[in-house]
Amino acid sequence: MQITGFMMCVVGGRGLEKEKVIEMKNLTKMYGNYVGVKDLSLMVYQGEIMGFLGPNGAGKTTTIRCCLDLIAKTAGEITIFGLDSHKDAVTVRKKTGYLPGDFGLIPSVRVRSYLKYLLSLWGCNSTKKMVSLAERLQLDLDRKTNELSKGNKLKVGIVHALMADENLIILDEPSGLDPLMQQEFYCILREEKKQGKTVFISSHNLAEVESVCDRVAIIRKGQLVVVENIQLLQEKTGKVLEVEFRDPFKIDEFRFEGVSSIHRDNGRLVLTIHENLDSVIKVVSSHQILNMNLKTYSLEQLFLKYYAEGEVDEGGMDDVR
Amino acid sequence: MFGRMVYMELRTGLKGLIIFGILVLIVSAGMPLIFPTYRDSLIEQLEGANKVDLELPDEQGGMITLSWEPLEAATSYMVLEDNRLSMVTAKLKCMINETSITFEKDFEEKRYYAVMAVLDETSDPVLIGVASTEKGEDPLQELLKNPAYAGFTGGRNISMMEVKGFVALEYYSWTWMLTGLFIAYLAVSVIAGDFENKRMDVMLSAPISRRRYLLEKFTAMGVIALFIVSAEIAGLTWGLASINALNEFSANAVLLSLIGCLPFLMVIAAVGVFTAVFSQKVRTGMGITFAFVFAEFFLYTFGGFSKSLEWMKSISIFKYWDYLSVIFDDLFKAGDFILLAMLAIVILIIGMWVFEKKDIPT
Repeated sequence: MQITGFMMCVVGGRGLEKEKVIEMKNLTKMYGNYVGVKDLSLMVYQGEIMGFLGPNGAGKTTTIRCCLDLIAKTAGEITIFGLDSHKDAVTVRKKTGYLPGDFGLIPSVRVRSYLKYLLSLWGCNSTKKMVSLAERLQLDLDRKTNELSKGNKLKVGIVHALMADENLIILDEPSGLDPLMQQEFYCILREEKKQGKTVFISSHNLAEVESVCDRVAIIRKGQLVVVENIQLLQEKTGKVLEVEFRDPFKIDEFRFEGVSSIHRDNGRLVLTIHENLDSVIKVVSSHQILNMNLKTYSLEQLFLKYYAEGEVDEGGMDDVR
Repeated sequence: MFGRMVYMELRTGLKGLIIFGILVLIVSAGMPLIFPTYRDSLIEQLEGANKVDLELPDEQGGMITLSWEPLEAATSYMVLEDNRLSMVTAKLKCMINETSITFEKDFEEKRYYAVMAVLDETSDPVLIGVASTEKGEDPLQELLKNPAYAGFTGGRNISMMEVKGFVALEYYSWTWMLTGLFIAYLAVSVIAGDFENKRMDVMLSAPISRRRYLLEKFTAMGVIALFIVSAEIAGLTWGLASINALNEFSANAVLLSLIGCLPFLMVIAAVGVFTAVFSQKVRTGMGITFAFVFAEFFLYTFGGFSKSLEWMKSISIFKYWDYLSVIFDDLFKAGDFILLAMLAIVILIIGMWVFEKKDIPT
């Protein structure tokens, strides 16, 4: 709850200015006794690209599928564009493009026919955007759906999610494109964002979405761990100093403003430093140093830390601030 | 716009549908074509049956005389006795060199006698004919009254010597299996296939409700059923015209008798839709739907075994596709037609309700 409160505080300013596109309140989904998602509250605002991160089985797909009413929520509320995700599911889907994490295509039809068929279900007659996206992603529209490679199948899914010009685009783990295509894909997403579209993109790999997301939400074991602006997060990660001394030391010696975490690890001193690095180094140098390592706490490590069981429960964001 | 999914369903299944349509056309046209040959062989068989003559005594305890036409190549004759026409439990009454025997009627139940000519040691005996102790009974007509066949005749005295009787018994009585199981297979696979092949997420992420999804799939089944029935009508009419039998079995009777099959097929389709959304698996759904079709057939058959079992007929959908009334009595039962159509709609609505409640699996 502390983390959720923090999240609301950080994004609250933006929320006042921008329209909420997705609003989840205390979303819970149970599969019998198994928790899919528990008490998840999250907001996604218009015109942002929101990353939804978590390890496999964390509840990302469950959350997304609840939003699209593909599965029924056990408790909580989801509103999309101010509409109830269940009662107004058809209207919500009219405004939403969706790429499922795993999907099949209608076999033995040409990609063009398949996509035109899906466009027609959205009541959209123009194929202009479909053709343009296919060209940018180098997708051959005249191939048959059962002849496509995994990567090309993903491209079909991406074109499908974007071609009807929906205001909200939900992408469930769109990974598997080659690096050049991946960049082109992110470029397309940024353009969508410029046009005021909202993108909600899930992934288990931060590195994949780091460059394109404005904010990220991390989910683990069905519960939201943190929601944060990517830039702020990068600033907050700080540096980690690991020192082994020949002589004894006291932890209190290293208590400075800007040092968020101090602990011993097998005789080593481990500090997480955001400010006053100079003061810390001076204290360190007053001891006999056996070994020392100063490293940047990368975002990827940060997320691995969140993914790891138990870490967050002991302090969450405070541990790294 | 409604109909997009119907169109796509027909388009993707077009090849299979055309192949099946041609098969139905060939079977429907071919059946009347073999009627003349069948009738000729039947005449021969009936002549054979008349070769055995049975004289009954006026009183119990009198003498029965069984006589038959001699066969030139016969070395002796074998007389078999049974109380079933099928003669599967027949016992040897006697071996004789004469062409008649006389014996006491010391029983009351109906008995059947088959006379066979023994030719030589290397050849099998040849059936000369069959006679029964019931006066004026034609054994073949009697066979048709057997409860096992009653389901196909509706208790009518149907003659296989007429084209109507032949087509009713040799075509209508089993085509339900061909068309019904095909529709059952399609109805289950088009929906459960979307589940199993992970297409459902894409389909239902489109701005269409689950109810509309099912309605479109069901409508596609309706169009396919109409196509199959049309192929049956066209094939049968053409076959009957080819043997100049349309004066006996009119094109109008063909049309009305087979149109009655439409709601029958739609009930099967609705059950297929229901089991597909309920089980979400092709094999399970197909197993349940096939079992439903056969269970309905057995209910109808068993319902004809005795009056106390007639209620079984009432709960079978086969009772409500009464093609025999159209063929033999010129009576199209519109009430039955509507009843089946309503049943299909009710099952579909239940299917929709279940679908609304179910999670779509990943």
